[in-house]
Amino acid sequence: MNIDINFIGILIGAIMASSVPLILAASGELITERSGVLNLGVEGMMIIGAISGFALMVITDNLFLAIIGSMLSGLLLSFIFGFLTQSLLTNHVASGLALTIFGIGLSAMIGKDFVGIPGKEFPLLFVNLKEAIPLFGPIFFGHSVVFYFAFLLPFGTNYFLKKTKIGLIVRAVGDSPVSAANQGINVLLVRYCCILYGGAMCGLGGAYLSLIYTPQWIENMTAGRGWIALALVVFATWSPLKVLVGAIIFGGITILQLHMQAMGIRIPVQFLSALPYIMTIVVLVIISRDSRKIKLNTPTSLGQIFYKEK
Amino acid sequence: MNTKLKVSKVSKIYPGCIANDNVSLDFKSGKIYALLGENGAGKSTLVKILSGVINPDKGQIFLNDKLLKLKSPKDAKNNNIGMVFQHFNLFETLSVFENLSIDSEKNNDQLRILVNNILKKYNFKINLDVPILNLSAGQKQKVEIVRCLIRNPKVLIMDEPTSVLTEQETEDLFFSLKKFSKEGILIIYITHKLKEVLSLCDEVAVMRKGKVVSISRTIDEKLSSLANKMIGESLNKIKKMTSNNLSGEQILRVSRLNFNSEDPYEVNLEDINFTLNKGECLGIAGISGNGQNELFQILSGEILSNSGSIKFRNKEISKLNPKERREYLMAFSPEDRISQAAVPSLKIYENVALNNFKTSNFFERGLFNERKIKDHSKKILSNFSVNTDNVNLTSQFLSGGNLQKLILGRELITSPELLICFNPTWGLDVGAINYIHRTLVKINQQGKSIILISTDNDELLQLSDRISVINKGKLSKIMSAEEVNPEKLGLLMGGGLVD
Repeated sequence: MNIDINFIGILIGAIMASSVPLILAASGELITERSGVLNLGVEGMMIIGAISGFALMVITDNLFLAIIGSMLSGLLLSFIFGFLTQSLLTNHVASGLALTIFGIGLSAMIGKDFVGIPGKEFPLLFVNLKEAIPLFGPIFFGHSVVFYFAFLLPFGTNYFLKKTKIGLIVRAVGDSPVSAANQGINVLLVRYCCILYGGAMCGLGGAYLSLIYTPQWIENMTAGRGWIALALVVFATWSPLKVLVGAIIFGGITILQLHMQAMGIRIPVQFLSALPYIMTIVVLVIISRDSRKIKLNTPTSLGQIFYKEK
Repeated sequence: MNTKLKVSKVSKIYPGCIANDNVSLDFKSGKIYALLGENGAGKSTLVKILSGVINPDKGQIFLNDKLLKLKSPKDAKNNNIGMVFQHFNLFETLSVFENLSIDSEKNNDQLRILVNNILKKYNFKINLDVPILNLSAGQKQKVEIVRCLIRNPKVLIMDEPTSVLTEQETEDLFFSLKKFSKEGILIIYITHKLKEVLSLCDEVAVMRKGKVVSISRTIDEKLSSLANKMIGESLNKIKKMTSNNLSGEQILRVSRLNFNSEDPYEVNLEDINFTLNKGECLGIAGISGNGQNELFQILSGEILSNSGSIKFRNKEISKLNPKERREYLMAFSPEDRISQAAVPSLKIYENVALNNFKTSNFFERGLFNERKIKDHSKKILSNFSVNTDNVNLTSQFLSGGNLQKLILGRELITSPELLICFNPTWGLDVGAINYIHRTLVKINQQGKSIILISTDNDELLQLSDRISVINKGKLSKIMSAEEVNPEKLGLLMGGGLVD
């Protein structure tokens, strides 16, 4: 059988592209959780990012503004969450769930007028190299700037957490906010910043869907990716590079099983659809089974409400 | 370099409680100062004010005659006030070095050199690159001290530093503190342990109910005089009357008890034999970690022995669970009050309801009879002088001593025939210890029996009729209290005396 080498390249490129929203949202949420805050509103922030990005693109006809706007809207939504949980000391889980429900509802309302409008073509980089190099060309070239950003992000996140002073402070706050406060660290400020950063990344992840991946607005188009991103963070035991692995596996099997369905392989469709979820969890559990590392990476104060003694 | 720290008329009021009432104190470098007081006397509040964690309602603090504004912990640090908290302020999942670097302005290489110099100078042996959670309590404390030393402190405040240390670690700590003091660091040492005050400190300020009640030199003080000042009344020395109420009736017989554990951190028990008479208190001494935990759990039914028998009033109970044993009128007070004896997040009456004796009828057709439990709880609170009458209070707000009174009360109010307690006064202040000792003597006099497993030799010698020592999972010969003295006990505990 003659396998077209370019087809494999395109397939891998497609797999990587499909994992971009997961990488973005999960990397953002990872920083939020590393500071000890559990924000279950990822899905809500992504969908808001998706609609506001698309709406801005339609209104201003400017993709740059659309991208920035999507991040700001994710950030704004996460600010509501931050205000509730950090300043008003509400429960993290309940507030996050509410945020998701709110985001999905709000996006559907805003999105009513934008259904059926065609998207705008997003500029792709290195298109000539894509054609020129067999196999590797379609994998590495001819993607959007957001794509490259997403694949650099886990490495940057890893460096930030492990090597920088601010990263150390984020980990310290996640480990013990009380100790951090006694050391003179402004816990509230650190946690707010991490929440807002997480919100912005989720917004960007949503915008990738509506502006680049499938350039149009469909109600509920994130389709549970926010929840997958949340699960990735946990199963990757809060390690940015494992998040990257998990996102690629999830994206990969999602795409592959679609091809398998198209090829008419005699495996029940329901099983194939479930496959990405099962495989991602299995692989991440296997690569993260070092209990010592889990203990060291897990933010001890995750989900705990912190208030300062007066 | 001379350092003077002055606390002037500091007050801090919490709703329903005056934590610090017009506190004035003077400290000068070159001396070690003790701040002595019972739990809840206001020591920790004062320390938190000095370290900038909380702000006083009134009063000022002067360092070398300069008024200090301590709005946050950063201000205290910038004024060279170092603080080692009772509950360590370390980040468990970060490495030692990361913990030290987090609030340092120096770059990592400079800091590493500085830290290594400090470690060498004071002969601290700590690996800088392991996470804190791998360290012992003593090592963690050293990390805290090093963190203070990095900033060349003028003042070093230690908040109950020995509560988690072993005896050897305590000695090491005292040695270091004396060295710091000689180098001109002013040391304020907060404690409720009288012996430490006398052996370490030069001057002592005693606090009671938020007020400073006495300031004196330690050479003018004795254990008893300090104790009296601390609790504000003289303690009646507990005198145990031995044997005049022993009926000779055997109540418990443990024979050929063996326990082999698969868990490498548990101690195996080997051929445990003893008997206990009605109205008697059997003390079991030993250095912690020699099988006391396992023995307590086997006697209470939390775990079962591999072989051997436990006969309580001629009934074989070695296969029964704790609830069934309680129904035979045994009662248990475990070592760890917070995690084993009570649930801190539950209300007082809920904790009381937790151990449901058959006799208590707290539940009717599966439903909670709240009124009955609350009445019962109120009775416990007043009979055992717990310092609250609010049964709806969440248990974690009780101090250690009051929680222990509540637990003992819960166990004793149903008049059990046998009480097994494990370190009942661990971590408590003098007043609470005294109360609990009196209670134990009283129940002995009522003809009830006690097994007292304790690591506190004074307590054992005071309360026991007979004493045995557990060492590496084996019990020594059982001796009557008269033939035991502290030296002999010490030898047996170390495994030095084989009979």
